[in-house]
Amino acid sequence: MADVRDIMELDQPVTPELTRESIIGSDKLKKRTFSTTKTQRRPEGMHREVFALLYSDTKDAPPLFPSDTRMRRPRKWEWMPFTNPARTDSAVFYHWRRPSDGPKEYPFAKFNKKIDIPTYTDAIYQQHLQTEGWTKEETDHLMDLARRFDLRFIIMADKYDTEKYNKRSIEDLKERYYKVSGILAKSSGERKVYHYDADHERRRKEQLKRLYDRTPEQIEEEQFLINELKKIEARKKERERKTQDLQKLISQADSQADHLRKADKKIPKKKLANPTRPSRVDTSHILQAVETAGIKFPDYKNSGVSLRSQRMKLPANVGQKKSKGIEQLLQEMEMELNPIPTEEVCQHFNELRSDMVLHMELKAALTSCEFELQSLRHQYEALSPGKTLTIPPQLLSSTTENDGMKLSGNPEIIDVVGSPGTPSGAGT
Amino acid sequence: MSASGMLYGGDEIGALVFDPGHHSLRVGYAQEDTPKAEIPAIVGIAPNDTPKIEPETKEGNTITQSPWKYYIDTTYLHTPRPNMELHSYMKDGMIENWDFFEKVVDYSYEKIIQSASEYHPVLFSESPWNQRQKREKLTELMFEKYKVPAFYLVKNAALAAFANGRSTALVIDSGATHTTAVPVLDGYVISNAVVKSPLGGDYLILRSREMLEGLGIDLTPTALVSSKEILRDKEKPKYTKKNLSFLPTNSWMVYMVKKTVQDFQQSVLQVSESPYDERLAASVPTVNYEFPTGYHQDFGYERFKLAEGLFDHAMLGAGYIAATSAGMCDVDVRPALYSSVVLTGGNSLVQGFSERLGKDLSSRTPGSMRLKMIAANGTVERRFGAWVGGSILASIGTFQQMWISMQEYQESGKAQIDRKCP
Ligand SMILES: Nc1ncnc2c1ncn2[C@@H]1O[C@H](COP(=O)(O)OP(=O)(O)OP(=O)(O)O)[C@@H](O)[C@H]1O
Ligand SMILES: [Mg+2]
Repeated sequence: MADVRDIMELDQPVTPELTRESIIGSDKLKKRTFSTTKTQRRPEGMHREVFALLYSDTKDAPPLFPSDTRMRRPRKWEWMPFTNPARTDSAVFYHWRRPSDGPKEYPFAKFNKKIDIPTYTDAIYQQHLQTEGWTKEETDHLMDLARRFDLRFIIMADKYDTEKYNKRSIEDLKERYYKVSGILAKSSGERKVYHYDADHERRRKEQLKRLYDRTPEQIEEEQFLINELKKIEARKKERERKTQDLQKLISQADSQADHLRKADKKIPKKKLANPTRPSRVDTSHILQAVETAGIKFPDYKNSGVSLRSQRMKLPANVGQKKSKGIEQLLQEMEMELNPIPTEEVCQHFNELRSDMVLHMELKAALTSCEFELQSLRHQYEALSPGKTLTIPPQLLSSTTENDGMKLSGNPEIIDVVGSPGTPSGAGT
Repeated sequence: MSASGMLYGGDEIGALVFDPGHHSLRVGYAQEDTPKAEIPAIVGIAPNDTPKIEPETKEGNTITQSPWKYYIDTTYLHTPRPNMELHSYMKDGMIENWDFFEKVVDYSYEKIIQSASEYHPVLFSESPWNQRQKREKLTELMFEKYKVPAFYLVKNAALAAFANGRSTALVIDSGATHTTAVPVLDGYVISNAVVKSPLGGDYLILRSREMLEGLGIDLTPTALVSSKEILRDKEKPKYTKKNLSFLPTNSWMVYMVKKTVQDFQQSVLQVSESPYDERLAASVPTVNYEFPTGYHQDFGYERFKLAEGLFDHAMLGAGYIAATSAGMCDVDVRPALYSSVVLTGGNSLVQGFSERLGKDLSSRTPGSMRLKMIAANGTVERRFGAWVGGSILASIGTFQQMWISMQEYQESGKAQIDRKCP
C-alpha cells in the first residue's frame, strides 16, 4: 500500500494490505489497530483545534479501494486541425482533441442559427413593394441589416447608413420591414400575417419616456398624492365599517324589540326603571362579543336547486358550544331537533335558533358586565374604606324582573345595561 | 473536443488576444485568466549610433533596425539613455503611429508569445469609435505582415461586458486618457449613444503633479536617485543623483515624472462618497507618502480634492456621462442598461470610485428603474476587463465561425472587416 507513511518512512502500519475485509469486515482487526496507537497528550497552550489536526488521526487507513483503473494508459490528446461547417469558407483551425473520438462534425456548428429574412426579386419589388418614401436600394439596405443583425432593430437603426440615406427611427424601420415581409408572406400564400402598428408604438414609447423623465420632485409629489389617496380611502372604509356595525346593532335591537313586544301582548311587562347609566365603561369587548350576534344562514335563493332541509343546517361557523347550547334549549322547550322543513317551519326555526344564539351571546355579555361591576365595586371599596357602593338592584340580574323571555328555569335578562350600543334600547 | 469542453462551451484554438490602450497594450493567450504581458503604450527611440554597446542588445530585448534603435517595455523605458525620446503610438483611443505600434507587436511575438504569428488567430480590441480606415489598416497589417491564420476585431466595451458575464450592459470604462459610457446590447455597441469624457487617470496625474509642484516637492524619479536618507516628516530631502554622463531627454523626464506621480496618485487619492466638502475631507485620516527622493509628508484633504475632479464637472463627470448615454438609447432598453452597469478600466480602481459612481448614478436613475452596478473585485479583472472578455470570447466554440480567415481575406480583402466585425 503506497501510503503517506511509506513515503515518509514512518513505522509500518499494523494493517496489512487493504482489503474489503479490513474495511467492512471483522472488528477484531480494527481493535488491534487502535490498541497499538498511543494517545498523545495535548501540549500546554496548544489550541485544541490545532492539536486535533495533528493528533486526532486515529491512524485509520485512508478509504481507498484497490481499483483496476490504475494502470490504464491515459487516452491521448492531440493538437488537430478541424473545419467548421458553420463557416462559409473552409478555413482550418486547430484545437486539442482525442484522436480516439474520431472525426466528427464540429460540435458547436449546430448552434449556428439564422433567422429567415424574406427575399424578393426586382420584379416582385416593382410589382408589390413599391411605396412612397422608400427606394429599392434603401429597402435592400434595411433587409441586409435585418439579416446581419437578426432583426435587432435597435442595432439596425444604430448601424443604418446615414451617409446614403436619411436617419430613420426604429419604428420607421420596423414598419417598413414588417410591411415588406407581410406582403411577401401574403403573396406566397401565408394566411397569418403580422401587422406592425407604428403609431401605437410611438405613442407607447412617448408615454414610457415621459414616465422615465419625471423629475424626482414629480415622483415625490406623485407618491405623496398616492399616499394621501390611500389614507382617504382607508378613512372612508373605516367609516363605512362603523356605519355597518351600527346598522347591524340597530336591526338586532329592532328584532329584539319585536320579540319583546310579542311577549308583551301576553304578559303585561313591568316597566324597566331606566337607571342612570355610567357613561364611561369600556364596552368594546362586549361589543365585540355581540357583534356576531345570531346566526347568519347562507342565502340559498340564488344557488340553484337545493333541498329545503339544507337551509336548516347550521352554518359551519357556528361553534360546537353554540350548537350544543341550541340543542339544549330546544330540548328544554321540548321541540324537535329536526322539524319537518316546510317553508314556514324553516324560516321560524332558523329565526328561533338565531335568537337563541343571540340570547346566549347576550347572556355571556351580561355575565362579563356583572363581573366588571362587581370588580369595580371591590375596587371602589378598597380605595375608599368604610364606604360601600350600593349597586341599584335594577342592575343586578338576579333581582331584575324580566319574565319576557322565560326560556329556562332562571330569570334571564336581555338588556345589557351600561352599553349604549347594545340592544338595551329594547325596553326603553 | 472533450465532454467538459462541450459542457462549458469552450474550445481553445490557440488564439491570441491584444487589447491596446493609451496606458498599455495587453497581450496574451485566449482562455487564460490574465494577459501574459502588459506593455506600456510608449516606445523609446534613439539613434543607433550610440558608441557604447548596450548590454540589452545581446539579450535581444531591443529590436535593432538602423538607423534607429527602439526600446520597448518597462525595464528598458525606465533606464535613462542618451537621446532616447519617448513616443506614444496611441491617439484618441486609436492606434496612430503604425510604425511604433508594429515594433510593439513584433516585440510581443518575439518576447511574450515566443511563437510564430502564423499559428495563432488574433483577436484585437478597439475603441467603440475606431475609424473604418484604421480598422482596415490593422486587418491588413495582421494578415499581410504577421500572416495570422484568422483575425477579429471587437469593441473593448463589449468585451468588458462579456468579462462581467453580460451581453447587455452599460459599460463605464475609465482608462488613462478618457472615461466612456458605452451601451452594449446583445454584444453590439450602440455607437450613436457612446458618451466620452476626457477625464481619466492622466487627468488625475496632471492635477496631482500641479499640486505637488505647487507645494515645491521634488519629483525626481527613482531612476535618477542613487541613494537617499531617512528623513523626518516634511524634512528637506537629502539624496544623491545618479551620475549620468548625459542629460536625459525631455520626453523621458516627463514620462518618468508622470510615473512617479502616478504611484502617488494610486496610493493616495480617494474619491469621497458625496460631493467634496472641505470640512468633511479634513476629518478623514491622512496618508503618509514617500517620494523617490526620500521626502515624505501626510496628505489629508488633498486626497479628496484631487480625485473630486473625476466627478465635479457638470458635463464630464462619470455619473453624468453614464446617465446621458443611457438617455440616448431607445426607451425599451434603458431598464436593461441601468440594471447592469459594468465598471471597468484601471482608473476605476481609484479608491471610492465605484461607490461614488453608484451614488451619483442612482440620483440620476429614473425612479421606476432598478440600478445595479457590476464591478469585478479583483484589481486584475478590473484593469484588464476588455482583455479578459476577449480571452473568453476567442475560446468559445460558437465563436470559431466568426473569424475572418486568411482565405476570406485573400478572397475579399480588408474592406470586409466592416461587415464581419460590426
Ligand atoms: N490601482 C489603481 N488605482 C488607481 N488608478 C489606477 C490603478 N491601476 C491603474 N490605474 C490607472 O488606470 C489607468 C490605466 O487604465 P487602463 O489600463 O484601463 O487604461 P487604457 O485602457 O490603457 O487607456 P485608455 O482607456 O485611455 O486607452 C492609468 O491612468 C493608471 O494610473
Ligand atoms: Mg481603455
